[in-house]
Amino acid sequence: MSSLDPRIRRAEPELWEIPLRSLEPLEHWQTYEVFVMRTRGSQAQHVGSLHAPDAEMALILAKEQFARRSQCVALWVVPTEAILWTNPEEEEIFLPATDKSYREPQGYLHTRERIERFKDRLKPLQSYD
Amino acid sequence: MYGNLVVRPEDIENWGKKIEEEDPEKLAEFEGRIERGEKIEPQDWMPFEYRRQLIRLIEQHAHSEIIGALPEGTWITRAPTFRRKLALMAKVQDEVGHAQLLYSAAETLGKSREQMINDLLSGKSKYSNVFNYPAKTWADTAIIAWLVDAGAIINQTTNSKGSYGPYVRALERICWEESFHLKYGYDSVVYLATGTPKQRAMLQDALNRWWRPIMHFFGPPDTQSVHTEKLIRWKVKLATNDEMRQQFLDMYVPKIWELGLTIPDPNLRKNPETGRWEYSDPDWGEFWRVINGDGPCNKERLAVRRFAEEKGRWVREALRAPHARYVTPLA
Amino acid sequence: MIEVLEILILSLADDELFIGHRHAEWIGLGPILEEDIAFASIAQDETGHAQAYYQILTDLGLPTPDEYAFKREASAFRSAHLVELPNFEYDYGMALMRHFLYDAAEQVRLDALRKSAYEPLAGLAERLLREEKYHWLHARVWIQRLGRSTEEAHHRLQAALDQLFPYAWMLFEEMPHEEKMIEAGWVPPSAELRMRWLEKISPILMEANLAYSEPKADELQAFQGGRHGIRSPYFDSLYAEMTEVSASDPEAEW
Repeated sequence: MSSLDPRIRRAEPELWEIPLRSLEPLEHWQTYEVFVMRTRGSQAQHVGSLHAPDAEMALILAKEQFARRSQCVALWVVPTEAILWTNPEEEEIFLPATDKSYREPQGYLHTRERIERFKDRLKPLQSYD
Repeated sequence: MYGNLVVRPEDIENWGKKIEEEDPEKLAEFEGRIERGEKIEPQDWMPFEYRRQLIRLIEQHAHSEIIGALPEGTWITRAPTFRRKLALMAKVQDEVGHAQLLYSAAETLGKSREQMINDLLSGKSKYSNVFNYPAKTWADTAIIAWLVDAGAIINQTTNSKGSYGPYVRALERICWEESFHLKYGYDSVVYLATGTPKQRAMLQDALNRWWRPIMHFFGPPDTQSVHTEKLIRWKVKLATNDEMRQQFLDMYVPKIWELGLTIPDPNLRKNPETGRWEYSDPDWGEFWRVINGDGPCNKERLAVRRFAEEKGRWVREALRAPHARYVTPLA
Repeated sequence: MIEVLEILILSLADDELFIGHRHAEWIGLGPILEEDIAFASIAQDETGHAQAYYQILTDLGLPTPDEYAFKREASAFRSAHLVELPNFEYDYGMALMRHFLYDAAEQVRLDALRKSAYEPLAGLAERLLREEKYHWLHARVWIQRLGRSTEEAHHRLQAALDQLFPYAWMLFEEMPHEEKMIEAGWVPPSAELRMRWLEKISPILMEANLAYSEPKADELQAFQGGRHGIRSPYFDSLYAEMTEVSASDPEAEW
């Protein structure tokens, strides 16, 4: 039995003699989370994770896996271990329990009405002038 | 409420847990979320069966990408022009990249990349049958890049509407890259189909050999496929095998015929009454034989992966950080 | 003078063509997925560089990049033998060391070519340097890391360096009619570029605890001639493989 791929043929006969050996835990290194800044002025965005032996290598390897096609001005990597997250299951902690419109622009929609009412009140007085 | 370690050995130990044994309240909440079209994220509670099925699915998908790099890789050193040589390198590179994305997505469910690779190498975990067939000529790469990738796009676009966040995110990017593969494949096929008699003959021969594996690509018919109902409810599976196969035939048979090629199935036709494609039995016996290890290239594919892992071992070993600890990636 | 220009451009382009080809043999076989992807990009870049160099000649009415790459007599190639060497036993130490020695040389060459009096070459060099920065970073960090890691890694890199160094030395073999190229202001003398290359690689190799010795003139017999059309023993099988499809139907478009 011989491969149709000349690259693989060059690995024969050793290819067929490789024993089945299990990879050890962490043999493919630890993981880093990757962030991409697509344009100047935009936020860096999380785009995925990768395996690397250290942070500098993570950056070097991330470049081709996460920025080889799409536009990019900067890459960041962070050890996954360094990231602390809140659990999406507890997303309700982000939901307000009482009316918080006082801190939203939409909470101030009736100011103009008040001015108009005030003007209406002034009108009868002005007509006596 | 928060944390940075998602390794939950108990999740994995409890794989045997039956759906009836799950906390009914949590299960209802989980299913409600999926029904509302919300995504499940890695830190969410999920039934063990969901986790198990997703790991199986994403892992097999990842293995299919890394093994899928091999049949086309057969022609990397022999591509006939600069443009084809560069495109083939880029395409096979993408397959490796897809494996990287998918292994990461599967890792978020608590199975490490090393464990997944071990299961691939030992034969415990499967990958798409289609990659157990040889790419005998240059035309095979064109057929693979066009029609196998077309099948993959149908499958992946369907799955990208699924419920698991990390898998969906990976698939979105994968589908985007696959669309280049499809264009490249179609372009290569068209050059052969409109080329010299020798090129046309080579292309027809490749189509003849690949048609059956392509018909197998979407999996056995729905009548033979197991436990689909629950997976559809959980949006792990979004279309049945037959639905995807029909979609593929609808989209690609006319394009194949347009090029004056013959599809090696005299019974293939669209029934005008049912609107469904009818075809000869593509020998599902062969499908099961190949899945169980008896295909033309199964041995070679696994041997090559073992070889690559073994040859890379000293490199990985050399840079391994002594105090590293495993943390599940967030992808 | 166009013949002299062709010698220069082909020397540059043929190196890129075969190094790209050899690097590409690793696609799908790399030591870890992430590195597989990075190295595949470098292979593409180098192949693309070859195409861009040939295109300079095409623009002068000479053959197309595809004709240069896929339809040439062996003796018309001008590559250094370094780039023709196979990936012996798929030792990634060899692949990385060749990549390191080669990309250091390419950086040095491109830096010089930016100031070339031959405008198209200067413009191209400026563009190619963009990609070269990454290649050099990739190569340098790998060598630095591995050189100071395990005994096995160090041993493999040192063995690779011993084997490859005389070949890499010949990346700077004097080209035929080089004096005319220098006179025209196209390139600095190869020997001068070699000195710059040594300055570039020495500190990194030292940091990685790796040593080389400069080959003596009489030891170089086996490694030279690339620029003069003498092919290495590995060329014929390499080229037969590379052109297998294109030669199978010479009339065809692919």
